[in-house]
Amino acid sequence: MSSFDTGATGTTEANEATEKEILRFLEARTKRPWKTDTDLFASGGLSSLFAMELVVHLEKTFGISIRGADLRLDNFRTVTSMTALVERLRTAAAGGTADA
Amino acid sequence: MRDLPLSDSPAPDRELSPDTQLSSGGENSPGEPAAMVTALVAGEADGWDRAGLLPVALLRKLGAAGWLCAQVPDAYGGRGLSSAAGGAFTAHVGSLCSSLRSVMTSQGMAAWTVERFGTDEQRTAFLPRLTGGDLAAAGFSERGAGSDLSAMTTRVRREGDTVVLDGHKVWVTAAHYADLLVLFGRYSEAGEDDGDAGADDAGEAVAVVVPADTPGVRVTRVADPLGCRAAGHADITLDAVRVPAAHVLGGSPLPLPLLVTTALAYGRMSVAWGCVGILRGCLTAAARHAVTREQFGVPLGEHQLVARHLAELLVAEQTATRACEHASRCWDEGSPEQVVAAVLAKHISAGNAARGAATAVQVLASAGARDGHVVARAHRDAKLMEIIEGSNEMCQLMLARHVLDRTV
Ligand SMILES: Cc1cc2nc3c(=O)[nH]c(=O)nc-3n(C[C@H](O)[C@H](O)[C@H](O)COP(=O)(O)OP(=O)(O)OC[C@H]3O[C@@H](n4cnc5c(N)ncnc54)[C@H](O)[C@@H]3O)c2cc1C
Repeated sequence: MSSFDTGATGTTEANEATEKEILRFLEARTKRPWKTDTDLFASGGLSSLFAMELVVHLEKTFGISIRGADLRLDNFRTVTSMTALVERLRTAAAGGTADA
Repeated sequence: MRDLPLSDSPAPDRELSPDTQLSSGGENSPGEPAAMVTALVAGEADGWDRAGLLPVALLRKLGAAGWLCAQVPDAYGGRGLSSAAGGAFTAHVGSLCSSLRSVMTSQGMAAWTVERFGTDEQRTAFLPRLTGGDLAAAGFSERGAGSDLSAMTTRVRREGDTVVLDGHKVWVTAAHYADLLVLFGRYSEAGEDDGDAGADDAGEAVAVVVPADTPGVRVTRVADPLGCRAAGHADITLDAVRVPAAHVLGGSPLPLPLLVTTALAYGRMSVAWGCVGILRGCLTAAARHAVTREQFGVPLGEHQLVARHLAELLVAEQTATRACEHASRCWDEGSPEQVVAAVLAKHISAGNAARGAATAVQVLASAGARDGHVVARAHRDAKLMEIIEGSNEMCQLMLARHVLDRTV
């Protein structure tokens, strides 16, 4: 939480850019501000149609393919968890194990 | 999740009989494939409707050439069509025979579910079967879970290297013909208490590929359906049905709403394009009748009240086409708008088809008032399209939710 944690958790520039882009999409789409740790699907949150929109948006914007177990809701619950998912799949893709 | 016991998947065989030349049909035009289907179907659909049965050999032949799920990528033996090109082909089939088009919707939805949720190994194991002549169906609905799929009670319980399914499904299109059933159910690990169905709305669910000949699977045809009479709708009971755990798509449970929404997205596109086809069949039949049949000394089309029916049919067909084209474009571009666009296209097309078919029957009157006639079939078939893949009301609720989500 406090500022000296950021270095330890290794927030990279790429992470920040990813986070920003996801926040931009969420705010454009829902017309309200979101925090990086807000649970999007908690009560009064977003619909399953929207969950699928998020999946498609992340795939298109970040050139990744989200399949199988990576589709579990925990990966989409918060901006932070989506950022982690995107970064992990991008790293995997860069490593040459990308899904066609 | 390794060692899929399916290494015997048949190699995709693209050969149809030598007299049917197939090509992937270029960009958005179904072209030669459309002509091929016309040759196989036109003139037969009325009889299939009355008999309540499609020729299985024909289904396998179309399936083995990749045409029952034409959007599966080439890598898996599919035709690799875009949503736009697949949609144009679907509409063409829909203009001839909604039962055959329904079988395509089921096969395509099963394939899409495997493609979307399956692991690499599962895609490699199952997709070539779906493009190699095996037939498939997708089962969500249950007696207590129609519009409200969160009430689903079918259980999928993990036991070692296997999973065991118990429960039932109803009205599963094409299940009568299917070799492979893609079934949705609630997931539990061995020993977990799985007693209270529906306790958790967003609960963890899985889609499982179940060979229809697995012991404990019983498939019973739905007798005398109102429409799409040859589509092979069936109820399925599952009594301690055991399949390898490697048949659980993706290998781990996912939220039921996401699983279902994703699978149905394909089905909605397919039904929407199929309804465009229904409208085209109706427009053609009504127009032909209006120019050939005379009453009061002039062709029917010269009576303004009849002419208006033709104008309305054209508007219905064109509006539905545009909505489907838009949704397919979103799909092909990977735009997130595809999700809502598919619901919108399905809702517009199904409603237009139901009204348009009623209009066409009105124009043909007694000439179209017998079972088997293209407009009589359209009238019965289109009505059911307002019920499936999200009924009119469920589509309206989803579209309203979309509006509300975007409004401060
Ligand atoms: C031809 C045909 C093919 C089918 N194929 C398949 C298949 O391949 N696989 C499969 O799994 N299932 C299939 N089904 C089942 C189909 O998905 C269901 O019929 C559908 O989901 C509607 O459920 P229901 O019939 O139980 O109607 P119900 O859910 O009981 O609904 C009855 C009516 O109430 C309305 N309604 C329900 N809830 C609400 C609400 N909250 N607000 C407003 N209105 C509401 C509905 O829109 C409908 O008009 C098929 C059905 C048909 C007729």
